[in-house]
This record gives sequence, structure tokens and C-alpha cells, in this order.
Amino acid sequence: MTIRECYEQMGADYEDVKRRLASDERIEKFFLMFTRDPSYNELVSAMEAGDAATAFRMAHTLKGVAGNLSLSELGKASSELCESMRAGSIPPEAAELYARVKECYERAMAAAEALKQGRQ
Amino acid sequence: MSSGSKGKVLLVDDSFMNRALMCDILGDEYEVIEAENGVEAMSVLARMHSDLTLMLLDIVMPEMDGFEVLAAMNKSGWIEEVPVIIISSEDSYTYVDHAYDLGATEYIQRPFDEKMVKHRVENTVMLHAKQRSLEKMVIDQMLEKEKSNIMMVNILSHIVEFRNGESGMHVLHIRVLTEVLLERLAKMTDKYDLTPERISLIANASALHDIGKIAIPEEVLNKPGRFTPEERLIMQAHSAAGAEMLENLPYYGDEELVKVAHDICRWHHERYDGKGYPDGLAGEEIPISAQVVALADVYDALTSERVYKPAYTHEEAMRMIQGGECGTFSPLLLACLREADSYLEKELKVKSNGGLAHEEMTNLPRSLLKVGGASGKKLQMLEQEREKRIILSRMSKDIQFEYEYAFELLTFNENGARILGLPETVSRPRTSENMRKTVNFDDLHELIDRLQAVGQQDPPVEMTVRANLPEGERKFNVIAQSLWTDDERTGVIGIATPIE
Repeated sequence: MTIRECYEQMGADYEDVKRRLASDERIEKFFLMFTRDPSYNELVSAMEAGDAATAFRMAHTLKGVAGNLSLSELGKASSELCESMRAGSIPPEAAELYARVKECYERAMAAAEALKQGRQ
Repeated sequence: MSSGSKGKVLLVDDSFMNRALMCDILGDEYEVIEAENGVEAMSVLARMHSDLTLMLLDIVMPEMDGFEVLAAMNKSGWIEEVPVIIISSEDSYTYVDHAYDLGATEYIQRPFDEKMVKHRVENTVMLHAKQRSLEKMVIDQMLEKEKSNIMMVNILSHIVEFRNGESGMHVLHIRVLTEVLLERLAKMTDKYDLTPERISLIANASALHDIGKIAIPEEVLNKPGRFTPEERLIMQAHSAAGAEMLENLPYYGDEELVKVAHDICRWHHERYDGKGYPDGLAGEEIPISAQVVALADVYDALTSERVYKPAYTHEEAMRMIQGGECGTFSPLLLACLREADSYLEKELKVKSNGGLAHEEMTNLPRSLLKVGGASGKKLQMLEQEREKRIILSRMSKDIQFEYEYAFELLTFNENGARILGLPETVSRPRTSENMRKTVNFDDLHELIDRLQAVGQQDPPVEMTVRANLPEGERKFNVIAQSLWTDDERTGVIGIATPIE
């Protein structure tokens, strides 16, 4: 599986990331590094603990990281979740936005897993 | 930036992915120093701000965010030294505007292109380097010119004094005293419009106050005994004579320096009560430049040895002037003199010993130094001092610490941090959890309170502080001294030695 196919599988924007980060090796390296990035897990614990400030910060980081990798769906979902908490509390509609982030994130992880399998 | 080596870029971002990607993009061209949050960034800045080529700064971070870092950099003036590029996925205009308002050079939005980042980084670095070298050239030239000016004025005045059989120190003393008094005065009132430029100008013109003495016949000027009434009149004519010389200058008549020098020459023997000469001006009719030089003249005359009298001590001179034994002065000026007090004596010694070289360092294009930060030379000297201190603190077995009020940042020397098991930099130590675990909080707060209570002239605070170290509770003897800039408490420096 090439990194391009991997991007196509999870519905992320390969053309965009290729234009911005230039080389396939770099894209692959950072996409795989993303599976070890703690911001998603920290977002989950903050959401569960009802800690709005940390959840905001983690959603914000996730938005940035996903954006840089052109994981467009995940970027959009975390941006919406992030905006919903900007005022410093977790509003009721955040639950739905959070679920959407979760779904996108799991899809990305599945794609990453597939990519790793293909490499072995 | 030292030649040959890569430029150093400080990268501040709480996400390791973001840092890794940026290192990947910039690592070939630059040495990247990473910081995880604002507090770490401040500690790197404190250590090596003059060494940094550029700073890349994230906004949303724990501990201390990007805006707080920018604000602190404004306070310390580092923002003038290190160009900052903000990198954030934040796209709201208020964020972008706020970052620019706080002095950021560029704002790069995530997601970014590799090429765009490289270009912007390169352009910012180049532009900043160019601006710096131009700034340095201008400042060096100004310094050189200003130095020649001061030298010419001082040589000229020295010639006048030489004829008078006095040492050349008098001119230098008057300059220093005038400057110190004017600086105090500017703080006390704004009715004289004493800008730093104006103070420099008056101090410079003060050197000419006695040029009229060149018109006094030598046998009167250097007569050892008492003057006859006629001779006294001839002597007193020097102030009007000096003013006249300046009035009759075929050139520069409109120059502010000449105008100020004229006023000083003519009226530096007037008295606040109207009983002086040559015009018997009273109170605020006497230009402030002349009032200040008159006071400086009296102080220096008292504290210097003359053929007819010994040198009085600073204390005696102060008592005589305040007691009205040597003329009358504006109450405000007398208050300035009281305020300056021992500082005056110290300043006089330091500056007079250093002579021109020192004068050149302190006095010069203030407007420039203020606008463009300190001059290159001054910065280099400061940097060297800093380095010396760092080396000494590394060699020391004691715990040394420094606290900056502006950033609420406590810094330990390497050894100190190791002994205490604390990081080298602790933000907001008063409330820090780390500090609470290590240092007895009652003792810490007592130390802080006592430091807040001492004045500028007080000796260092000394007390016993208990600390919980891995091997158990230990007592330390702490000596700490407040640091001041003008009248403001800016920091604390101290040393802690274990009590056996």
C-alpha cells in the first residue's frame, strides 16, 4: 500500500499534503508518528473528566496536527469541537461533535494500521 | 550569530508532532532549540536571547501561552532583538491582530506549506540581520561623533580652567552633577519639559559655564588673597562676558546648544532670592539650566580643595547648602539634591575616574539607545558580564538563585537545581507545587516578605530556610539581595549554603 492509497482509503486529501510537505517519505513518517501523538488520548481523558480548558487545548492541537497532515475530515471535526468549547465550558452539542472526532480518528488509525501491515 | 555556525531558532510548541515536523523542515539550515511551553521558552530566552536568530511561537499552550510570551518579551525588550513568527492553527482575526500588535513579525497559519515556511523564515532572518547591521552602523557613527563633540567642549573648557589654575576635573564634575540633578528633577516634575535629549544638551552646555573667565586679567583671576571691591566686580563680570562671547558668535547663533550655554554662562551666579549677579533675576526667572549649574558649581566648589580653603566632605557640603550658607536655591532643586545625596558622591567618583570613556558609554545618544535598544557595544559588554557570571555560578558549590519580578521567574544555578531536585527555572515560585514540596513554605514566604520590606540602601536579607531534600530535611543559610532599576524593585539575587 502506498501512502497515497492509504490517504484515499481514509478519505484524506493526498494532493494537498503532497503539495505542502513535498515528499512521500516525509508524509508517511509523520502520518505514522501521528499514531503515537498523545493529543487525541488527552482530549478523550479531558472530555471524560469534563475539563473544558484542557479539552479545548487538545482539540486545538489535534486540529493543527490533522491540518498539517491534510486529514481534512478529522481537522474539520476537531475544529468544530474546539470552537464549541472556546467559551470555557463543554456545551451539550459537544457530545455529537466529539463523536464525530472519534469516528474520524479511528478511521485514520485503521488506515495507519493497514499501512503498517503492508510495510511488514 | 557567530560566523560559520548555523543560526539558532527557538521553536516553541506543546505538540511534539508539530515540533518534529518543523525540525524536519528547518533542521538543515538552522540549529533548532525546542521548548514545550512559554515558561521553557522564557528560560531559553533569558539564557541566550542575543544568540537567537529567530523564534517560532505557537499560541495555544499550557503553563504560559504565546501571547503571554510576547507580552513578557515586550517588557524585557527582547522583542526588539529576536524576530518572532507565530505559527498557529488559529484563524480568527482577533488572534492574528493581537499577535501583530504584540510585535510578532509574521503569522503563519496551519496547515502550512514547507516552501512557504522556509521562505518566510529566511526572509525574516535576512531582513532582521540587515536592519541590525544598519542600526549598529548608525549608532557607532553617532557615538563617534558625539564623543568628538564632548571632547572638543571639554578641551576648550579645560583651557579656560587651566588659566585659572584649577584642575580640569571641575568641568567634568559640573557635567556629571548637572546631569544627575536634572534626572532627579525630571522625575519630580514635568514643568521644565526635561526630555533625555534636553538633559544631555544642558549637561553638555554646562561645560562652558566659565568661558567668560578668559576675559578676566590674569593677575585678578589668580590673585591669592582677598579681592578688593573693584577686583570683585571684575571677577563677577565673567558671567556676562561669557554670554556676550556666545551672543557675538558669527555662526551657530540659532543652535539650541549655544542658546542653553548662553543662559548658563550669564545666569549661573544668579540667586533664587534675587540677590545674585549680573541681572538680579529671582525665582523661576532664572532658566532651570542656569539654576542647576549654579547648584552643581557650589557643590563642587565646596567639595574641592582651593588655594583659600580645604575640601569639605560630601556631608559638610550638603549641610552647608541645605542650610543656606552658600546661596539660595529653589526648594525643588534642594529636594533633588537631598534625594540624590550619597548617589551623587558615588556617581561623581565613578564617572570622573572613567573620564571620557565612561561618559561616552553612559551619556550618549539616549534617544537612539531608547528607541533601538542598547547599542551593540553596550550589549556586548552586558553579554560578557553575563557569561562571566554563568561560568562562576557553574564552578560554585553553593546554591545560587535569581528571581525576576517581571516574569515571576526563579532561576537556580546548575548545582543548586541538582541539590534541591528542582528544575533550573521555576515559574511563579510563590504558588509552585514543586517549590511547596521542596522548600518550607513558611520560610519561603517570610523570605519574600522580608525582601519586599527592605529599601534600596538596606543590607541583604539573611535567614535560615528549611528544605526537604531526598536525604531528609536540611537547613540552609540564605543571603538575598534585592535588585533595583531606578526606584523599582526588579529582582532578587541570592545564595544558599547548607548549615552543617
